[in-house]
Amino acid sequence: MGSAAILRVEVERGLADRVPAALTPKIRQAPELFATGLADVDAMLNGGIPRGCITELSGNPSSGRTCFALSAIGSITRSGAACAWIDVSDALSPDSAAAAGIQLNRLLWLRMTSKGNANHSTKEKSLSNLDQSIKAADLLLQAGGFAAIVLDMSDVQAQHASRIPLSHWYRFRLAAELARTALIVLTQSSCTSSCASLVLRCESPITETFSRNGETALFSHRQYVLTRERNRNEGPSVPFKKPSSRAEWDANTAWCGVR
Amino acid sequence: MYAVLHPPNFSTQAAAKSQPELRRLPFALLDGEAPFERVYAANKAARLLGVEIGMTRLQVESFAEVVIRPRAIDDETSAQLSLHEIACQFSPRIEYVDRYSGTYALDIQGMGRLFADSAQLANKLRHRIMAAGFVANVAVASNFHTAVCLACAHQGVSVTPSGEEAAAMAGLPLHVLGLEPEQEATFSMWGIRTCGELAAREEKSLIARIGQPGRRLHALARGTWSHLMLPMEPSFEAGLVEHIELDFPVEILESLLFVLSRMTDALLVRAKEKARAIALLRVVLLLDDKTRYERIVRPALPLQDTPTLLKLMQLDLEMHPPQAAIVGLELHAQSAPPHRAQHGLFLPQAPEPGRLEILLARLRKLLGEERVGSPELTDDHRPNAFRVVPFQPPVPLPAKGALGKEALTAFRVCRPPQGITVMLQGDSPFRVFYEGQRYSVLEVAGPWRVNGQWWSKDKWSRDEWDVRLCADSLERVSRIAFDPRTQRWYMQGTYD
Repeated sequence: MGSAAILRVEVERGLADRVPAALTPKIRQAPELFATGLADVDAMLNGGIPRGCITELSGNPSSGRTCFALSAIGSITRSGAACAWIDVSDALSPDSAAAAGIQLNRLLWLRMTSKGNANHSTKEKSLSNLDQSIKAADLLLQAGGFAAIVLDMSDVQAQHASRIPLSHWYRFRLAAELARTALIVLTQSSCTSSCASLVLRCESPITETFSRNGETALFSHRQYVLTRERNRNEGPSVPFKKPSSRAEWDANTAWCGVR
Repeated sequence: MYAVLHPPNFSTQAAAKSQPELRRLPFALLDGEAPFERVYAANKAARLLGVEIGMTRLQVESFAEVVIRPRAIDDETSAQLSLHEIACQFSPRIEYVDRYSGTYALDIQGMGRLFADSAQLANKLRHRIMAAGFVANVAVASNFHTAVCLACAHQGVSVTPSGEEAAAMAGLPLHVLGLEPEQEATFSMWGIRTCGELAAREEKSLIARIGQPGRRLHALARGTWSHLMLPMEPSFEAGLVEHIELDFPVEILESLLFVLSRMTDALLVRAKEKARAIALLRVVLLLDDKTRYERIVRPALPLQDTPTLLKLMQLDLEMHPPQAAIVGLELHAQSAPPHRAQHGLFLPQAPEPGRLEILLARLRKLLGEERVGSPELTDDHRPNAFRVVPFQPPVPLPAKGALGKEALTAFRVCRPPQGITVMLQGDSPFRVFYEGQRYSVLEVAGPWRVNGQWWSKDKWSRDEWDVRLCADSLERVSRIAFDPRTQRWYMQGTYD
């Protein structure tokens, strides 16, 4: 036994009354995963998004963030669990949600509203909605019982989202862990800092031209691209093959098959 | 031992009590819908003049002295309540005798400590009834039916010692037994007119001639027909009420919570005694300006938990505060069987019902009533039509392998649609100004004309375009629409 190991044992023995195994790293169990319903994405994420953690998904408009979140929530509600959708911009389309396979009666939809003066600027309304959404997320996580919660800040400008204090995200991470809830945050640019266990980035999608002689159906085979920027739940062992950090999936519109 | 109080001609007594001027007059009560009204009841003076039950209005009107009044059910109910209250003062076990209006039977077994004997009890009971403005016969017997027959047949108070029921019944006419018309005709033909004469017949021969009813009538005439008493119990639901008056007006709701907590506790104790839970709470606040302010708190599931109910009431009152100071409180509860759910180790995660109620109430307070719930698609031609229903997730089922669905491009809706500026090239858009950004239209498809409600004033119509927009490196695929009525362009939403 090396001198460092002996020293560690001595220190731990001295602190055993107050802090058991003070210098021994805590054994982390692999978190339970929720399948997203997108085969390629699940393969890239080793099974899906982690439960009890924050998953952040950032990207530009029309990059597939909502499509990804709806697919994941659809997969979770079909398994019988309840989910919540905190809609900061009141932009969720129930038609799209139903088309994505979400069991709507298992989905709690919270639509933020701008109270007060109707003459408030867009910025003031956005900040007011953001404030409400943070409070709502806090209440939902404290109450527990929801398998997944989506905090949809897709339309909130990056400079507004970055104003959310880091302490909120730390609190959400702890609450999500205790409640065993997957908190999915949709943003334009990353704002959860180190609190997110899984950080994904939606790249610009590849769109097939739809006005080519009218032969291609509108928005058929729209290919979304997802890049994994961080996954804190990957195993410590050195893999034989470098895991892929990029996944693509095709998405159609509901009317594509009706030609 | 039973005491039966019977107010003869109860309907006329009830009418005379509510309209004292009728006491000195001959009057008849008519029942039924005009013009087919018939005499339902008449007082003694009217009957002496010749009025009979079942007469038509025209026949009664031929008696000039007789006053005609419609039957008042409310008066009878009120009179019956008075008699009920008096009966409750003499025995905790009372039963209403359906056969005769206003007639109550009291179980007076064991009342000897309060009243010296049965005769004294019967006399006091009759005096109390007379003091309330009614005339009633009171009969005491150890057999229920004997007491009822004696009360109907004998005026005043009649007390029959135990074992002498047959002798007491012997002189009573047969109609006190409540005979059917055929039975009455048969006995009349046989020459049997009193209960004593019927009791003297052999039981078997009576049964052989008129069937099994003969056995019952024979036992009734001898005073031996048994009866299973079903005492009236006060309505449990009506008793779930708590009220309190405050010494001085209170404006701060928090200071009422202590009182509300105590009242809720008291209601829950009563509900739990019957193995029930509280399904609804009606909070009535008596305000300083002499008005009543009511709020109804209805948890999704019946609860047996004071803190949860209290929190729900607090959140509701904070959302809808009264307009004046509070001087009194009433709490009315409705009970229901408590919610029972079968839990399982392998069931998916679901919110706990009690906590979910409070969570939803808090969210409603934060966001507003209509902003919290589950979306439900409506059968409407209008795109993205939906309504929000209360969030009540169904019972979780054991997890099955969730089948993957083909991914579909989602649509993000602009609520309300935002005005945009669109430059056209020919008939189709080629430049869009939205949120201070200038977008070039890379691709365009449309227009798709959608309209509806053209038959009403709520008609709507628009030409929708699906466009791929590009500004610097930012690209978005959106749906824009032109409203021909307002001649304006709107951003409908973005595909994401």
